[in-house]
Amino acid sequence: MIHDSILRDRLVTGDKSASDVTRDIARPILNNPTTSWKIGFTMSLIFLGVFGVSLLYTLWTGIGVWNINKSVMWGWDITNFVFWVGIGHAGTLISAVLLLFRQKWRMSINRSAEAMTIFAVICAAMFPVFHMGRVWVGYWALPLPNAFGSLWVNFNSPLLWDVFAISTYFSVSLLFWYIGLIPDIATIRDKVKSKLGKKMYGFFSMGWTGSTRTWARYELVSLILAGLSTPLVLSVHTIVSTDFATSLVPGWHTTIFPPYFVAGAIFSGFGMVATLLVVARKVMNYENYITIGHLDAMTRIIMVTGSIVGIAYLTEFFIAWYSGNVYEQYAFANRAFGPYWWAYWSMMSCNLIAPQVFWLKWARTTPWFIFIMSIVVNVGMWFERFVIIVTSLHRDYLPSSWVMYSGSLTEIGLFLGTFGIFFTCFFLFAKFLPVINMSEIKSILRNRE
Amino acid sequence: MGILDKKLSLRHRNKMLIGVWEDEDQLVAAASELVHAGVHIHDIYTPYPVHGLDRIIGARRSKLARIAFFCAIIGFTLMTTMIWYMSVHDWPMNIGNKPVRFTPSWAPVMFEGTVLCTAFGMSFFFFWRNRLVHGIKNETLDIRQTDDRLIVAIETVPGMDEKSILNMMKNGGAIEMREFENGVQTVI
Repeated sequence: MIHDSILRDRLVTGDKSASDVTRDIARPILNNPTTSWKIGFTMSLIFLGVFGVSLLYTLWTGIGVWNINKSVMWGWDITNFVFWVGIGHAGTLISAVLLLFRQKWRMSINRSAEAMTIFAVICAAMFPVFHMGRVWVGYWALPLPNAFGSLWVNFNSPLLWDVFAISTYFSVSLLFWYIGLIPDIATIRDKVKSKLGKKMYGFFSMGWTGSTRTWARYELVSLILAGLSTPLVLSVHTIVSTDFATSLVPGWHTTIFPPYFVAGAIFSGFGMVATLLVVARKVMNYENYITIGHLDAMTRIIMVTGSIVGIAYLTEFFIAWYSGNVYEQYAFANRAFGPYWWAYWSMMSCNLIAPQVFWLKWARTTPWFIFIMSIVVNVGMWFERFVIIVTSLHRDYLPSSWVMYSGSLTEIGLFLGTFGIFFTCFFLFAKFLPVINMSEIKSILRNRE
Repeated sequence: MGILDKKLSLRHRNKMLIGVWEDEDQLVAAASELVHAGVHIHDIYTPYPVHGLDRIIGARRSKLARIAFFCAIIGFTLMTTMIWYMSVHDWPMNIGNKPVRFTPSWAPVMFEGTVLCTAFGMSFFFFWRNRLVHGIKNETLDIRQTDDRLIVAIETVPGMDEKSILNMMKNGGAIEMREFENGVQTVI
């Protein structure tokens, strides 16, 4: 027998009915944009402009305008690539892994987290593509025959695995997101007044009627896609970690990289989800849907994954000492006490020490504090990638090749510019599509056991 | 059996009796009662998934999982053949003196290709089977069926006791009842 739960807190507060859900969540789509949306969107466009200028300068002059050199051949570009790919991971984790674990609290946040995945992967893909230098022959990375200018691609190379992994991840995430959106687009189709809106939402709702037969198959397709996306998300960051781990560079050549990178990706991704949703719930009046309970659950995951990452940092150090390999030992001593000590200790403070504050209930339930901490997590995770890449490369086996590296103005512009891409896409998404999954939320309005 | 599920279309249907519900528990109980009384429910339209309704109306178990497995085998075969053709057959390259034949380093690309093929193959099948096509004419019976109302559609057959069905719907908690014939709805 079905009855209301007396054990669990309600996932949606405010005693909402199904029509309240439609009204609340469709409000930004059906009404004119608010002032806060306009300000946010304009700011994003400015950053997008910064990206455009930096990219044009890079393309026009060549990647010599970046400060990368013979020793540090991967600098801010690959740091930013790993940073953005990592951020993308939380979306799939929330929509796929938490679906398999039947975690119903994911329903309020999965839509925006999946959108975040797609936008973050777009930002990530920019960097390896433009790092190629001659981007117009970028298609050589695809398995094309000799006539296109190269031999067949090398299937032993993790860089090629990346091409397949990132493109598959993007395509499958987009598909998963779109399938999840269809019932909600149909709801908007039946609510929107304008002719163009009716046409557009009608086109993308694909004639959805909410038939019981379709719902049954829809739930099965979602479940199978979740089952596929779960190993996919693990494979993507595992492959990203093998870009480093399969090389012979001290500090990179370690077997701990795949699980350590995956945990770091989930950690940073939840950081970004928290940044976005703490603001969105306030500005868009979604406090009844993204409740303190949701923030509590997210911060617990941040704390756990932060601790896993912290243990990985310490394990790396221990193994470097235990291996007896002097190059490995030097690489780690150089990380912590060399010229980039500030980056290393920023990483340690932000990723290992700071999230421990979430053991306190107050910290897990105070939105403004979670917002600050989410920024700290993202700063820390950017530094993690910078530390891994730059401190391992800047001191080669030959001391004559030792150099220092810092990002040029163009590299900084490109990085800040990707926030422009990310937030422009996110603001457009928040204006034209439901940020919260209405159909799933309607199914949990009654707190069923 | 064609791939498209023809039951999903409302075109060329006999007269239908439409019941509108507000409460999902009442709807599940009423639908169950109607089916037990021998009434054939054509379909139930809901704004969110209501578990158990598919079994009540006698919808068959979906074959999507089998289709997904089939797509996975196709994807795996395609990727393995592609890598073998490029790396072994057409132009084997000696890279760091590593073996060229079936190495574990093929696994990531084989895996990604398999996932891609499975996800898209299965989803396209899902769209096709469920009449989900871009730009298709929308066949909603009630504009609120994507918002907050649950709609039961019963196709009439000659000799059907419509009055007793309408009574059962009313007693089961239907808040509105209509007739639907040739695209026109009449409130009862």
